[in-house]
Amino acid sequence: MAEALEWMQYVLAPQVINGASIGVAVVLMALGLTIIFGLLDVINMAHGEFYAMGAYAAVILIAIGIPFWWALLLTPLFMAVVGYAVERTLIQRVFHSKDRHTLTLLLTFGLAIVLEDVLKIAFGANPMRIETPIGGSIEVFGLFFPNYRMFVMGMGSAIVAAVWIFIFRTRVGAIVRAAAFDRHMTASLGVPVNKVYALTFALGVALAGIAGVLLAPIYSVFPTMGRDFVLIAFSVVIIGGMGSIKGAVIAGLLLTQIQSISSLYISPVWSDPLLFGCMVLVLMWRPQGLFGRLGHG
Amino acid sequence: MGEFSRPASSKQINSLRLLAVLFFAISCVFAFIATVVEDVFFLRLATEAMIFGGLALSVDLLLGITGLLPLGQALFFGFGAYAAALILKNWTVSIWLVLLACMLSSALVGLVAGLIAIRSKGVYFALISFGLAQVVSKIVFNTVELGASDGIIGVPNAQILPGLSSGQPTVFFLFALMFIALVYSLLNYLMKTPYGRQLIAIKANEHRVAFLGFNTWRFKLSAFVLAASIAGTSGALYPMLRGFVSPELMFFQVSGNAIINVIVGGTGTLIGPLYGSALLTGLRSVVGSFTPHHQLVIGVLFMIVVILFPRGIIGYLAPMLDRRCQKGQGTVQQEARGG
Amino acid sequence: MDKAILKVEELSVRFGALTAVKRVGFEAQRGHITSVIGPNGAGKSSLFNLISGAIRPMEGRVLFDGRDTTGFNAVQMVSAGLSRSFQITNLFFELSVHENLRLAAQFIEHGRGLFLPTQRSRLANNRVDELLERFALRSRADELAGYLSHGEQRRLEIATALACNPKMLLLDEPTQGMSLTDTQETEALIKELASDDLSILLVEHDVELVMNISDHVVVMHQGEKLAEGTPLEVRANPQVQAAYFGEVRGHAHA
Repeated sequence: MAEALEWMQYVLAPQVINGASIGVAVVLMALGLTIIFGLLDVINMAHGEFYAMGAYAAVILIAIGIPFWWALLLTPLFMAVVGYAVERTLIQRVFHSKDRHTLTLLLTFGLAIVLEDVLKIAFGANPMRIETPIGGSIEVFGLFFPNYRMFVMGMGSAIVAAVWIFIFRTRVGAIVRAAAFDRHMTASLGVPVNKVYALTFALGVALAGIAGVLLAPIYSVFPTMGRDFVLIAFSVVIIGGMGSIKGAVIAGLLLTQIQSISSLYISPVWSDPLLFGCMVLVLMWRPQGLFGRLGHG
Repeated sequence: MGEFSRPASSKQINSLRLLAVLFFAISCVFAFIATVVEDVFFLRLATEAMIFGGLALSVDLLLGITGLLPLGQALFFGFGAYAAALILKNWTVSIWLVLLACMLSSALVGLVAGLIAIRSKGVYFALISFGLAQVVSKIVFNTVELGASDGIIGVPNAQILPGLSSGQPTVFFLFALMFIALVYSLLNYLMKTPYGRQLIAIKANEHRVAFLGFNTWRFKLSAFVLAASIAGTSGALYPMLRGFVSPELMFFQVSGNAIINVIVGGTGTLIGPLYGSALLTGLRSVVGSFTPHHQLVIGVLFMIVVILFPRGIIGYLAPMLDRRCQKGQGTVQQEARGG
Repeated sequence: MDKAILKVEELSVRFGALTAVKRVGFEAQRGHITSVIGPNGAGKSSLFNLISGAIRPMEGRVLFDGRDTTGFNAVQMVSAGLSRSFQITNLFFELSVHENLRLAAQFIEHGRGLFLPTQRSRLANNRVDELLERFALRSRADELAGYLSHGEQRRLEIATALACNPKMLLLDEPTQGMSLTDTQETEALIKELASDDLSILLVEHDVELVMNISDHVVVMHQGEKLAEGTPLEVRANPQVQAAYFGEVRGHAHA
């Protein structure tokens, strides 16, 4: 009995907390992907690179002496501008063609290649690090939790909640959902649909940027850091149901827990295949993922 | 109504055949010149272009003909490469046996992957094929028995005929060229049969195909298996050319490059992907000799093609040639249709 | 041989809270033209989808040509001998008219010659020639289906459904959006098509057309069967007049 308690306290609990803090960041990534897909029908293959850009933006800001907390605020703003520009200058150009799904996917894939190389040219391939802004840990019920990870969890949850409220409880959110549901109807009501699309893309990209900043002190920062991370985010989005916010949150937390608890027993090499196995199983049972699409019931 | 792109089955067929003949003729002339001037570098590079051309053909079968976007075709390419490397390292067998084994085994792997991926449609298919390749490449990357991140090095040459081996640049280039010509002819032939036409129909309107009484799942799965087999056999040639295999062969970059080759060359034209593969393999090598960041150049080029010329080089050249030919014959009606 | 080619028994389907089709049953006789009419939202299209295998019924049975075909999918229904057209033109718009028909006609080869050049599928090619002639599409054979006029597309839609040589043809609003002349031509065509070997089930908005050519009419209202009988019987039915004709006339005058 005492052994079990000790196991829970010293083995399981830290793993759960670790998983949850990464889970929240994964949810932020997946949220960006799923919002972009749910509204614009675009699979954003460059999402992982936007995540890396967010992390590098924080690296630069901190290097020129701006505190981490300001970087956390400025980075998503900067990334939103980047996202808005990408949507207006690139995605809009192929958005109205018949093969929209394929062309936008290919276009963002091309963008991913370019961004990755740009990051390599600008920063080199070697990993960089950001100092953890809050050191130490707090003790709750005899368990020690690293402060920064607790902060990531709290901050991430707050952002997820804010996005949720924005989309489902505000007037602008209602317009966004309406534009996703019926573009022409919404346009005929005088809504600048193209701007709504660009802003939504910007929101998705900003979320990837925030995830990048939040995880920068935990992981190191390097040009291809988005590659593996985006694979998890894609799995989450597929399992949760493309375009579903609820699905992204639930699947994101669930999958990262599976990943982090399973790593107690199996080599981390197998954690990706495990996630993928979960994804395949879910798709066999429900080919459209767990939850429906944003704006589509 | 100008948005309909004509598939390989309709009027373009004549100019496409012309462009195909041209491609293989240029390749033969190139081989001759390169042999006369005793070049090795460009022969090897061209052989590589052929090998990745095979992968591009398999992508075009899925993307351009059947309407499935495969983001993980490198899985089968890499599988074939590893299988061939292992066979050649352990046994002394002729190239024909190696290719046969790789063809069959990659078809089998394709069947398993297809059973998982074909269930889902559209972007789900794309992302699942992506994930499958990603996962398998990670496993290979971490498997010591397969050389982990180093891969397998020192793969010996394979014998083609007594006195001819994959180690001779001209011989192996011509062998790869012959292989690609064979695959191209097979696919080209299939597009003239009801089977190939059903694949085109699935791309055009999958929903209706079911109401014509055809099981679309079977057609898609068989196309997927065929594509896997083509990719795997192409991959089998890789270690014979370079003498090694590494997990990078399964990475997304290889799948992505294959898609770029197809899109730039011309989706659904079959010959386009071969042109794309030749041009871009050359471009990567040329740009790569100036800067390590050749992906940047390729990426920008690719984005320009996607935005401005989504039909690709051959997709634009072929109708243009058609119009030229028809002007010569003076058939006004068809010309109007070609526009 | 059973006189009825299609028997529908107590068929129901719900979408969420909406019961689209509620315990509907009727029979369609061999060689007859049977029509289903009803106001918008009466459940006609859902009934069609249930019979043609596009959606699965939650309750009830579908018996086709002496077999229980309940829960068959579209592919199985075509194999059983039932083919359908679509209300919203559903063609291969990027392929030629000839190719549209050839794809559909390939079914009668039963998998033979799948890997031989298409010219070798003699049966299918003959069938295409027959249909091009019959539906007056010969001169448009090499045109892309997407470039046809609306009337021509509607004709091709019927011809495509007919290409597999079915025992029963389900036509979903075949004259939808057609001009008056085209509608009259289509009416004559449908009447001509019905024979001992081909029964027709028709969903149509144009009540006059239905009354002119049908042997048997089923009237639906709010997911339920309101009445059935010969066109004369249905026309005389006071319930039908109240629920359906009144409304349609009212719309027509409005």
